[in-house]
Amino acid sequence: MDHIEETKLEVPKEPVLFPKTLNCLISDGEPIIYPNWIFNNRKYKRVDYEVELAFVIKDKCKYVKANKAYDHILGYTIFNDITARKIQVKDIASRLPWFRSKALDTFGPIGPRIVEHREIGDPHNLKIELKLNGEIKQSSNTKHLLFKIPELLENITQFFTMEPGDIVATGTPSGIGPIKPGDILEASIEKIGTLSNKVVLEEVVT
Amino acid sequence: MVKIGKTTINPTKIVCLGRNYLDHIKETNAPVPTEPVFFVKTLNTLVTDNEPIVYPKILYESEKYNRVDHEVELAFIIFQTCKNISADVAFDYIQGYTIFLDMTARTMQKSDRNINLPWYRSKNFDSFGPIGPRIVPCSEISDPHNLSIQLKVNGQIRQSSNTKHMLFKIPQTLEYLSKFVTLKRGDIIATGTPSGISPIQPGDVIEASIEKIGTITHEVILEHV
Repeated sequence: MDHIEETKLEVPKEPVLFPKTLNCLISDGEPIIYPNWIFNNRKYKRVDYEVELAFVIKDKCKYVKANKAYDHILGYTIFNDITARKIQVKDIASRLPWFRSKALDTFGPIGPRIVEHREIGDPHNLKIELKLNGEIKQSSNTKHLLFKIPELLENITQFFTMEPGDIVATGTPSGIGPIKPGDILEASIEKIGTLSNKVVLEEVVT
Repeated sequence: MVKIGKTTINPTKIVCLGRNYLDHIKETNAPVPTEPVFFVKTLNTLVTDNEPIVYPKILYESEKYNRVDHEVELAFIIFQTCKNISADVAFDYIQGYTIFLDMTARTMQKSDRNINLPWYRSKNFDSFGPIGPRIVPCSEISDPHNLSIQLKVNGQIRQSSNTKHMLFKIPQTLEYLSKFVTLKRGDIIATGTPSGISPIQPGDVIEASIEKIGTITHEVILEHV
């Protein structure tokens, strides 16, 4: 809810879903590459962090009922939905897909581990935090999720078959902000741990 | 893994171009893009020649969302991992060409777009990405921008154009796309649809054809829940 307020968006009636592609994925300790051409483009130069609780699918499933959702979840992890914010704002204004801003290489750090459902207990009561160079920028609790995980899985499996290992990220709280090369991001969720990634400027071989 | 004719590919993503034929841009009243418009389809959409397209019951029974359209497209398959490649070497990174059907829940797409939402739900229902019937190597298609492209529903022509009308040609598309994402062997890139998009119904038979590639045939069936 707090992130919806900060972006001045309407409160959605249904979950707002978008895909990230697998080229985004990096794990704990790997660098987030700041694309050179975005860094050198005045119009597009802004890339943001967004810490999120993610869950990983256990088995192939479709039409999952909310009350059975946890049977299909292998566990929980931390996901950082890195976003080229100005490209996204421009594309949204033109009613275009969110692909360019979301799917860049390394824009999906994940980890540091997958914690099983039984160890987490209630996934809707976990502190969630993001530090930029040691300073707290995002600080919330997963209890503020608008769509809870069971409802979310019921909603998305009306549309798509999920496969083992598929990753579903549940959205970010308020406090989003820009990163620059040299920054260190530490994304933490209670009972899961901390995902650390350094931002480096892309070196373009010419 | 998906077997297309005799070739098995293992794509990590499907990227589609929207608004890439001028006639289709006009029929949808969309502005002419200055840069390619990309969106993603997920791998659960893929079905091959002769497999049914499943019309989702939640769309069929929804007054608001009961419209699913065909969109025939030329697709190319990535040959090797690539990033930041320039247009003049693009064909070195293409394994071959095939036919792709970008099935779209049209009224859901419009309604999502009107409230500034991503083009995701409407494009990614299971079986909304028929592909095939084979992958034709680049050596057999010297110019991919001069192929007739056609779609029939129940034997009647609905889409009929030529790939020469593509706004962004394949080399430009690959140059632009590879600035954003690393492409991997087997990845599928669909290059947009010409005009003539129209709704389909359970029981319809769709035949999508591209010169030098062949025809894919799919029956539309209503989902049994």
